[in-house]
Amino acid sequence: MKDTDLCTHCDLPIPPNDLVTDEIDGLQLRFCCHGCRGAYRIIRGAGLTSFYQRRDRQSGTLKDAYGSRFDAEYLQRFVHARENSAEINLIVDGIRCASCIWLIEHILLQEQGVRSARVNFATHRVLIEFDSGATTPAQLCTKLTDIGYLPRPFSHDELQRSAEQERRSLMYRFGTAAFLSMQLMGFSLALYGGYFQGIDPFTRKLLQIFSAIVTTPVVFYSGFPFLQGAWYSLRNRLPNMDLLIALGSLSAYGYSLYAMTTEAEVYFDTAAMIITLILAGRLFESGARRKASAGVDRLLQLAPARSRQILADGSDVSVDSSQLNPGDLIMVQAGERFPTDGLIASGSTEVDESAVTGESLPVLREPGSVITSGTLNLSGSVSVEVTAAAADSFVARVAGLVEQAQVRKAPVQRLADRVATLFIPFVILVALATYLFWLGQPEALMHAITVLVVACPCALGLATPTAVMVATGRAAESGILFRGGDVLEACADLTKIAFDKTGTLTCGKPQVVSVKPVSGSEAELLQLAAAAESCSNHPLALGLIAELERRELTYQKASASTTIAGRGIEANAAGAILLAGSRRFLIERSIAVPDGHAGAGSEIHIALAGRYCGVIALEDRLRENAKEVVNRLKRHGYATLLLTGDNPETAARIANTLEIVDWQAELTPGEKTRLIEAALNSGDRVMMVGDGINDAPALTSATVGCALAGSIDIAVESADLILARPNLAHLAFALKLARRSLTIIRQNLLWAFSYNLVAIPLAASGKLLPAYGAAAMAISSICVVTNSLRLKNTRED
Amino acid sequence: MLTSILLLIFLSFCIGTGVWLFFLYSVKKGEFDDIEGPKYRMLDDEDDNQQRTDDERNIP
Repeated sequence: MKDTDLCTHCDLPIPPNDLVTDEIDGLQLRFCCHGCRGAYRIIRGAGLTSFYQRRDRQSGTLKDAYGSRFDAEYLQRFVHARENSAEINLIVDGIRCASCIWLIEHILLQEQGVRSARVNFATHRVLIEFDSGATTPAQLCTKLTDIGYLPRPFSHDELQRSAEQERRSLMYRFGTAAFLSMQLMGFSLALYGGYFQGIDPFTRKLLQIFSAIVTTPVVFYSGFPFLQGAWYSLRNRLPNMDLLIALGSLSAYGYSLYAMTTEAEVYFDTAAMIITLILAGRLFESGARRKASAGVDRLLQLAPARSRQILADGSDVSVDSSQLNPGDLIMVQAGERFPTDGLIASGSTEVDESAVTGESLPVLREPGSVITSGTLNLSGSVSVEVTAAAADSFVARVAGLVEQAQVRKAPVQRLADRVATLFIPFVILVALATYLFWLGQPEALMHAITVLVVACPCALGLATPTAVMVATGRAAESGILFRGGDVLEACADLTKIAFDKTGTLTCGKPQVVSVKPVSGSEAELLQLAAAAESCSNHPLALGLIAELERRELTYQKASASTTIAGRGIEANAAGAILLAGSRRFLIERSIAVPDGHAGAGSEIHIALAGRYCGVIALEDRLRENAKEVVNRLKRHGYATLLLTGDNPETAARIANTLEIVDWQAELTPGEKTRLIEAALNSGDRVMMVGDGINDAPALTSATVGCALAGSIDIAVESADLILARPNLAHLAFALKLARRSLTIIRQNLLWAFSYNLVAIPLAASGKLLPAYGAAAMAISSICVVTNSLRLKNTRED
Repeated sequence: MLTSILLLIFLSFCIGTGVWLFFLYSVKKGEFDDIEGPKYRMLDDEDDNQQRTDDERNIP
């Protein structure tokens, strides 16, 4: 009786008022809330009801899944002692949404001795302040693993510390500049009013002095990075953007100081605004970069820092993972992540490789299987022969690639620098010439400075970054992430798009398409196959079980099943030998398999007690809109290419359906990369669209690597363009957005240049007062920004 | 006239400085380290009992 008062899903007592009942499979099930009922239906719908038998009644999670032990001595190194408490910074794996944060904070606060716990949503770090007498870091970590999160100690290295320092200093500089510019605006407005309506000279002087006072720190404190950059650029004789900004603001500032002595108009606001606006841009940029580097941190810390090495005499010692060498043997227990790449030497286990491949289902790894660093050992302890030092491991290599990607210069800056190298000497020359031309007249210096003010790089500097910012923002709304402005630019002029098949053009989940029993009903054959396959996590087996769930068939689990990798399954059903697997597998077991291909992707042949029973065909279906998207891309003039590791028949069939002329099958990741490189060498600009990590090298070598994300972590790190929602239509939208942004950027640049083309001669000929020059400059900036904002309205279609 | 301008300028400068110092303080305290989280946090109910009584009140 007591059992029925517990919720079927969450196993907690049902409060009398909240009872929800539902009839599923003819059983009256009781739930504590509609959420639990929904969750149960989802789990059942996914064919995973066995979860309820496997889970541990105490905690609700799978037994042993996250049962890792923590080395207290090792954790102690990361504890910072405070006056009468201690602090530890953990990086927590498995945070997916805001409720995770709520849960972690509340679970920790319930623990005795915990004073405060705060999770940083962006970086997935949790800072715990605790009473070192009442609890230990190991206990806290165990608490977190109990609810399914994997904590690791987080330590600041020098690089991160300096990056954080830099961001703070940028924040200070920008805050100061913004505050002072606001003050300055008030004075400037009064002065502009005075210019048109008249103002008494003393008040004017006073306002000018105040303006000078507030502008000085903006130029010399907030603008210091630009002044410094300008100085370096002068010393290296490489004019850059910094020089242009420094020159613009310094000339406006210097001229205004000079103007104060001659009763002329002042332009302190120009000097301050240039610096404030550009600092704001830098701040956005650093925010984006920080988010990206937090991803790298998470990635690197996937591999544990400590491992248990097995010595020649059989004993084991705890060593730093960085000291492991190829050939060493290590022991990895259930619930731990593999510290480095290796081969399983003994034992077998299920491994959660979702962080690496995006495949969310665990895979069985047996002696001889390759293990990738950062993947999670789920079910049993295994000894692993190390094949790569931690620094060369998969995780470290991927992290290295990502870091390289982040330091590459955005085209924004490259273009501005290129322009600056020509533009700056030109402006200085024109200013100088103006001065010499008017030499002898009182306005000579003023005209020369007007040239400098009017040629201020604002519009030019804003032209690209604003467009990139708006476009990436718009893209992110649809779940499309451009890894930087250079990617946006590169996407705009691609010529060829190469697709991976599995998981990209297809859903990556095989479905049953035909059941052909030799005798008896389809249901009987399916049940027979399910009996054998129910113990397997192979995608084909899962597709089969899902079909049974769909047809609402029940099946009996076979006993004593063994998996023969790449062949099939041998099981014992009601005393007879049940075989399920490939045609080759059955023929090897001397069973006569009739000829003829089922015409679909994969087949499971079944034989019971030496007698052939029939075949079930499964197919990995194309994504709904695959054909439409491929057609659309072709209409836009892109050449398409299909690269797959699958067999030629399947590849040909898919290529035919999608009308992709150019296809290659049975490719290794290395061959995919070589094909991409060949296309690049023949002058094509190629985009590679893929999912898992086996495409990573090809993604990296293509002009633009596009990842269709099934996972949100690593697979995505090697891509330039990430489609966070597995919808191919977004690919077409991303390309459209990129093309539009490039058009807008070109318009902006054209406008900024033609403005300079008109304004500089006017200023040089003395036809322009600095006040009009500054106004013209402001208007041109507004035009550029407004034009960029148009990108916000790009529609998905 | 001039006195009032001076007074107002001084006043605005004081208020501005106050806000500026507050900004510097909050950067130092790390208030800007996590600008993603708060928008989710505000939806959390700190007090679960409070939530329950609220729910009950809504039941007719």
